Amino acid sequence: MMGRWPLVLAVLVAIVLAGVPWFGNDVAVQFGINALLLATLAQSWNILGGFTGYVSFGNSVFYGLGTYGTAVAMTHFNLPFGVGLVVGAVVAMLCAALVGIPILRLRGPYFAIATLGLNGAMAAIVSNLPIAGSNIGLVLPLMRGDAIFYELALALLVVCTLTVLWISSSRYGMALVAIREDEDAAGSMGVNATLYKVTALVLSALFTAIAGGIHAYWSTFVDPASAFDTTLNVRMVIMCVFGGPGTVFGPVVGSFILSAVYEVLASEISTAAVLFFGLVIVLAVVFTPKGLTDLMAGARRSGWRYLFRNIRENRL
Amino acid sequence: MNEVANVAPQAKTIMEARGITKRFQGLVSVDKVSFSLAENEILGLIGPNGAGKTTLVNMIGGTLKPNEGDLLFEGERINDVSPYRRAHLGIARTFQIMKPFPGMSVLENVAVGALFGRDGGEKSMAKAREIAREWITFTGLGQRMDAHADALGGPDRKRLEFAKALAMGPKLLLLDEVMAGLNHVEVDEMVELIKKIRARGVTLLVIEHVIKAIRSLSDRVMVLHHGERIAEGDPALVLADPRVVEAYLGKRRT
Repeated sequence: MMGRWPLVLAVLVAIVLAGVPWFGNDVAVQFGINALLLATLAQSWNILGGFTGYVSFGNSVFYGLGTYGTAVAMTHFNLPFGVGLVVGAVVAMLCAALVGIPILRLRGPYFAIATLGLNGAMAAIVSNLPIAGSNIGLVLPLMRGDAIFYELALALLVVCTLTVLWISSSRYGMALVAIREDEDAAGSMGVNATLYKVTALVLSALFTAIAGGIHAYWSTFVDPASAFDTTLNVRMVIMCVFGGPGTVFGPVVGSFILSAVYEVLASEISTAAVLFFGLVIVLAVVFTPKGLTDLMAGARRSGWRYLFRNIRENRL
Repeated sequence: MNEVANVAPQAKTIMEARGITKRFQGLVSVDKVSFSLAENEILGLIGPNGAGKTTLVNMIGGTLKPNEGDLLFEGERINDVSPYRRAHLGIARTFQIMKPFPGMSVLENVAVGALFGRDGGEKSMAKAREIAREWITFTGLGQRMDAHADALGGPDRKRLEFAKALAMGPKLLLLDEVMAGLNHVEVDEMVELIKKIRARGVTLLVIEHVIKAIRSLSDRVMVLHHGERIAEGDPALVLADPRVVEAYLGKRRT
């Protein structure tokens, strides 16, 4: 069970973040939108990946469907942005359910590989759909006002995190964690694993797609290559795992830190940033393979020795 | 008369197997085995390694499907019922290779049973925790309530498997070698525990190599050898049966 103080702290952080458009500059707000959307993606990935242990590389498909659902609804049907978001989310959730039922039978690396194939397939399909602008892409109506997008992204992250908070203390979440810990034992104890895995994937798709839709309208342009981008999925995994998969605040904290580190590196040393970013990831995996949340608990128990114990235990 | 020793004559049949067979690519693991379990009975299942005991339990639990024959639970055919639905019907099991949820506390492990067991389980977390606490205390793990499951030692892990299965509120409990690796004192504790469980109205199928325990627990004993049922009945008579002795120790050279 979680203590009270992380919740209080989270509420305070959310209030301060909500004020950024008023006292921050344009650069801060734009960085904020990206960071908040990425945190939402990491948190959405956490619902399936963190709680059930199924590593999905298909979440960028849901992101892409969210961006395209919103873009097509707004450009071809002149629907309002809100309706566009709903269209994108519904398409992504349907895709998650349809794809999830067959491929969530696969376990471990096989599931990951199957989801990896989805991305390429979906990008190819969209590239050949005239309604989606084929491989040229779609241009959305322009709306100035970064502050609105910022607050929308923050609201989405808050709702997504509240959902994960609910999961972490609910019967539903117990089923997800039981599946992660031992799926056969969970089944023998009455957990309908298929039902819980598929709903977790659908829930994950919901938030991922809305994040995609917000990003589409904000950037006013979508194309297949950036909508169905596997590296975006890799970032979700890294951020979630770095923060602490299966925890409530780990993925958010992890992605904020990594976004900030990347931003600093990109402005300081530009071209070599990716290299150093890679180094940060490697160090994180070596010293805190279970994420920052585990690092905090471990450091409280055994101090600095925690870091080196990880190396020993994992025979690195 | 030996066939029904210790069992009340009017007892209802809770589970029945009719000629069930399991083959693994030509190797017959369980061969046309038929038996029935009366309500609140303890049936001991023994046999040398590789006799097909665990395969039989896996078929009743639903993780394996028989190639032939029928399994009936409370009169309904359950061959095609998935494991989680069998749990809802009231069938619970322990695993020979124990399967605790390592990242969860003892309390959470057992609460999973209460949350998803018989009839789909308890819907309220608070109630499930309460049920879990009861069974943890019942199995003698009360001191380790908040310990992580992977921090438990051997005997405590066995108790945890028990508590998890019991929290499901089963009608039929399948125990797969819960005494393996325990010392004499621990075996006696386990025997007492199983007797207490039966006193609560649960029917038990107990796979065990510890003959002393089987003798003191079972109403009836069934012996499997090369997948076939070679003997069944009163424990004392079955354990003295020359065929059973031969299956375990080999033929005496004459």
